[in-house]
Amino acid sequence: MRASYCRCINCITPPHVLKKLLDNSDTRVRDAALRTLLATSRLRGERSVRSLFASAAAASSHGRRTISDCSNSTFLAAATLARSEDGPASGDESVNRAFEGLGDTRAFYSEVFDRDSLDGQGMRLNAYVHYGSEYNNAFWDGSEMVFGDGDGVLFTDFTKSIDVIAHELTHGVTEFTAGLQYHNQSGALNESMSDVFGSLVKQWVGKQTAAQADWLIGTDIFTPAIGADALRSLKEPGKAYNNPTLGRDPQPDHMSKYVNLPDNDVGDNGGVHINSGIPNKAFYLAAIGIGGFAWEAPGHIWYAALSASTASTEFQEFADTTYLKAGQLYGTHSTEQQAVLSAWKEVGIRISGVRTLAGTATRMRQAAMTNGNGHDEDSSDVARQIEQLSRQLAVLTKEVAGLKSKSKAH
Amino acid sequence: MKVTLLQRGGLAAGINLQRPPQVVDAATLDGTAAAELKALADAAMVTPASATATGKARDEMSYVITIEDQGRETILSQSDTTMSAEFGKLLGWLKRHLKSH
Ligand SMILES: [Zn+2]
Ligand SMILES: [Zn+2]
Repeated sequence: MRASYCRCINCITPPHVLKKLLDNSDTRVRDAALRTLLATSRLRGERSVRSLFASAAAASSHGRRTISDCSNSTFLAAATLARSEDGPASGDESVNRAFEGLGDTRAFYSEVFDRDSLDGQGMRLNAYVHYGSEYNNAFWDGSEMVFGDGDGVLFTDFTKSIDVIAHELTHGVTEFTAGLQYHNQSGALNESMSDVFGSLVKQWVGKQTAAQADWLIGTDIFTPAIGADALRSLKEPGKAYNNPTLGRDPQPDHMSKYVNLPDNDVGDNGGVHINSGIPNKAFYLAAIGIGGFAWEAPGHIWYAALSASTASTEFQEFADTTYLKAGQLYGTHSTEQQAVLSAWKEVGIRISGVRTLAGTATRMRQAAMTNGNGHDEDSSDVARQIEQLSRQLAVLTKEVAGLKSKSKAH
Repeated sequence: MKVTLLQRGGLAAGINLQRPPQVVDAATLDGTAAAELKALADAAMVTPASATATGKARDEMSYVITIEDQGRETILSQSDTTMSAEFGKLLGWLKRHLKSH
């Protein structure tokens, strides 16, 4: 039986096989089929695929939200339920803001990247508000989000900035994709992913173009008295704040200013919140270079690079991957790829194996145009993606056959 | 008794990194407050952290609380995801006190 199933894969068009899998009674099979379907970006826009997605939508919990109130304790287990996905709004604005922020972030990942919650499989979203006393922070504990009220002197409620909420949730996405280690350069990349996608969620909600966006993180969590613009600026790392109480924004905007700090708690794990300024600036420059909405081409290039990265990826490798992905998604020598190249160059990172002599990029682009607008590359891209999808389907089919024989044995 | 609090890390690590340790000297407190601090410090010193770091937390804050009492120095290093409830209560007391003074 397994053999006939496997042969079958070669003569059925992928959507038909997937439709079968989506009808499977086992939720694991349905989720796997769904993921495979969505992994192929070329198929995403097709109506037939969209309708398959809609029919299978009920299979996932779709990131159902639960907000709990810590009542100023640091002990999460003692928190009380304040709002659930289908429950009524709370009388507490922190609860409602966290609820809405989780919903906006969930909608962003779903609509922009076809990602079902943080893990891509509809993982539930749990958040805690009113954590601790005078708590000037928000964090991701490895599976849930926690928000403080601020001390009212420097900071106010950390649920007030949507980019802060999206920053924390993106730590979950990074954990389920590249899993970037939280130390030194890979840690700074991890932080940068949270700032980049945190800012993109804010821009997406506000429908702002790259030129219109403020590119600031946490503009609404400072008290009015403190006179700080933000926690960080992707546009101008190092210039988010400068005052006697807070000190000066220590973020570098170029590799020549990389800050070496001890890899421990006191040294911010090698400056993960400091050196993130370098990749943050690179994303900003790429987004401005490409123009339009930053969650479109720039966001998709970065998301593809994040998905292709590993736990130990550092700045150079990540930069090279964004260049590669820009070529795969938008074409070699495309304006998107050139913008990525020059963005990294401007922060002091040269893409490996690319000559960056003045005029080379333009000459290469002209050469590509005279060679038929790069259509050959486009069709080979599609062919490769179909080949990849077929491989994934073969694996899925084996899994299904395995599950079937298992359930038979019971 | 003298208690010193150092706060590091967090979403605002860039700001926290530049902030000096804060000190509460029990000799400057009234009798009730001094007794509260002593009780909270004693409880935090004898209670181990509630968990070991998983390495999975992001943007959590870490705290170093140094307690100097009768020539003896005790250093407690815990974080948002590892602290005991007793450490959390001492931390809360210190932050409330430091804010109002
Ligand atoms: Zn067949
Ligand atoms: Zn973070």
